[in-house]
Amino acid sequence: MTITTFLPRQIRFEGQLAWRHLRSGGGQTWLTIAAVASGVIIVIFIMGLIFGLQRKFTALLTDAIPHVTVQVPEGKPIPYADLPGSRPGPTSSRSEMQAPQRKNIDDWRTVLSIADTIPNVRTVSPAVAGQGFASKGANPVGVSLTGADPAQQELITPVTRNLIAGHYIGLAADEVVIDYELAKDLNVGVGDRIRITSISGIPEPPRIAGIYSKGQGRGSAYVTLRTGQSMLGIGNSVNVVYVKVYDIYGADAVAERLAVLLDCEAKSWSSEFPNFVTSLQAQAASAYLISGFTLIASSFAIASVLIVSVQRKAKQIGILKSIGARKNQILLVFLLEGLGIAVAGSVMGAIAGIAVVYLLSLPKQAVTRVGGVPESLFPLMLDPLYILAAMGAATLATLLAALLPARSAAKMNPVDAMR
Amino acid sequence: MIALPGKLVIETVGLKKTYQGKLPTPVLFGIDLRVVAGEFVSIIGQSGSGKSTLLNILGALDVPSEGLVKIDGVDISTLTDDGLAVLRSEVVGFVFQAHFLLEELTCLENAVLPIIIRKGSATQEEVEWIHGLLVRVGLGGQLHKSPDTMSGGENQRCAIVRALANRPRIVLADEPTGNLDSHSGEEVFQLMRQMSAEIGIAFVMVTHDERLAHAADRILMIEDGLMRSIE
Repeated sequence: MTITTFLPRQIRFEGQLAWRHLRSGGGQTWLTIAAVASGVIIVIFIMGLIFGLQRKFTALLTDAIPHVTVQVPEGKPIPYADLPGSRPGPTSSRSEMQAPQRKNIDDWRTVLSIADTIPNVRTVSPAVAGQGFASKGANPVGVSLTGADPAQQELITPVTRNLIAGHYIGLAADEVVIDYELAKDLNVGVGDRIRITSISGIPEPPRIAGIYSKGQGRGSAYVTLRTGQSMLGIGNSVNVVYVKVYDIYGADAVAERLAVLLDCEAKSWSSEFPNFVTSLQAQAASAYLISGFTLIASSFAIASVLIVSVQRKAKQIGILKSIGARKNQILLVFLLEGLGIAVAGSVMGAIAGIAVVYLLSLPKQAVTRVGGVPESLFPLMLDPLYILAAMGAATLATLLAALLPARSAAKMNPVDAMR
Repeated sequence: MIALPGKLVIETVGLKKTYQGKLPTPVLFGIDLRVVAGEFVSIIGQSGSGKSTLLNILGALDVPSEGLVKIDGVDISTLTDDGLAVLRSEVVGFVFQAHFLLEELTCLENAVLPIIIRKGSATQEEVEWIHGLLVRVGLGGQLHKSPDTMSGGENQRCAIVRALANRPRIVLADEPTGNLDSHSGEEVFQLMRQMSAEIGIAFVMVTHDERLAHAADRILMIEDGLMRSIE
């Protein structure tokens, strides 16, 4: 049994001859296979690196933030002329935005039940968010205050995994979790009490239950929902509902749906960070471009080797034609030869590409923040889909490269070829 | 496919060939030729007289500039590229001065190749027939050898068997003994003679060897692009 046994009977001869060509080609065959494999390795590496970086940056950003934020819309200034009952005629008016101030969502339980019905929504957390000051003795420090149920908020903006001391889950009403920078500024530790005064002016003296470090930002504090409501003086209402989704790229659709269903303002993470999304798209486009150029370059190399191969086999083509081979049969011989090179090169390239990506993902970065864990120096990603896509694209490029010499072989005049 | 003796298998009328280049070069000026099944015809002539050109046209490897060419009753000018390929596969067998065997294949594989090209694979019966022919021409011990490990005479005998593989009606041989020593040449010639007589195949052989030419049924000479019969 040979490799060509698996071919249909009608093309077994062409397959057998192509196989013999490849075997007799020796070093030249291996060189051509290596050209295809190199293309596949580069594509897998580039895609792995670019999409690995994208995944890392996206995860860094979106893991720590809500994917959709629902709040009552800010009032917008209306020009005098548009006001009901305004007198016609020339007027002069000046429009000014109201100072930022979150409006309360009184019926937030309805918001939760509606949000839960929308596909792609993973979890919903009602919360209060506001600004305040934290102090220990003198010198108050600005603080962003979030009041939410710790178990639910953990699913929106994870705190526990970044804790360097204490706890967040099971937070009591008189406890607070603050970030490392704030703790450093206030010179406090777990168990100490600090004073937090919200902009509504209601002071609370919670005890520090935990300190976390995300390696970015400073001056955040987490309390329970009840404590937050009390600090901000908003009764049983909340002023924001946070949503986390399964597919972060579907967050826009969820936000639009929520805005329609709730008649409120719903902002997706991508609308909050448009430049980030644009840079991701630019990165992806660059990866596709580099991959495309790599495959084109290797196609030219393959085409030139196959053209030389056809010229070397001119006499054989003439012989085959003299004993009855049709144009299509000759074409098929050289296309199958190209296919053999493409398949062998793609498979070898994929194996080598996976090995390269795996080996490069082993070196770790030095830890630069408190409580951090070592991460890969090269944030590479292996996705079977793009490995298969790289193999498919390389196979297609090689077949296209083989088409030109195969056509010239098929068109060869047998008398000229045998001369 | 064995032709009935006496049936016309090659017919040319006013066959002309001019090679188009910077200066058109006329080679054949009007050849009228008729060959019947089972006949052994030799063609002689000076180098460059157009013998090989005539053979290439008769074998549908080249096209005439003018005139009628009928192979096994079919006007080849009416055939498409694939039709010409079928003609070369089923009706005509070629033997060249060089054996032109494929080096990637063994002796047996080379000999079976025309059958495989024609219909994708060879039956056991066909392989046995080819095997028998190879044994008859003295290649029983060389079946699985590559052409580059066989002698010139052995390769040419294998090429003759290959030309017979599809049981053609005509075998066109272009100086088949030209590269062989006199002993091997004689052997190859006798083999062709024998096959012609036994299977009823028409042989048209171009040769420079007058002794072999005279052993044919009929000798034709090409001179100044025209053909004349010697005997």
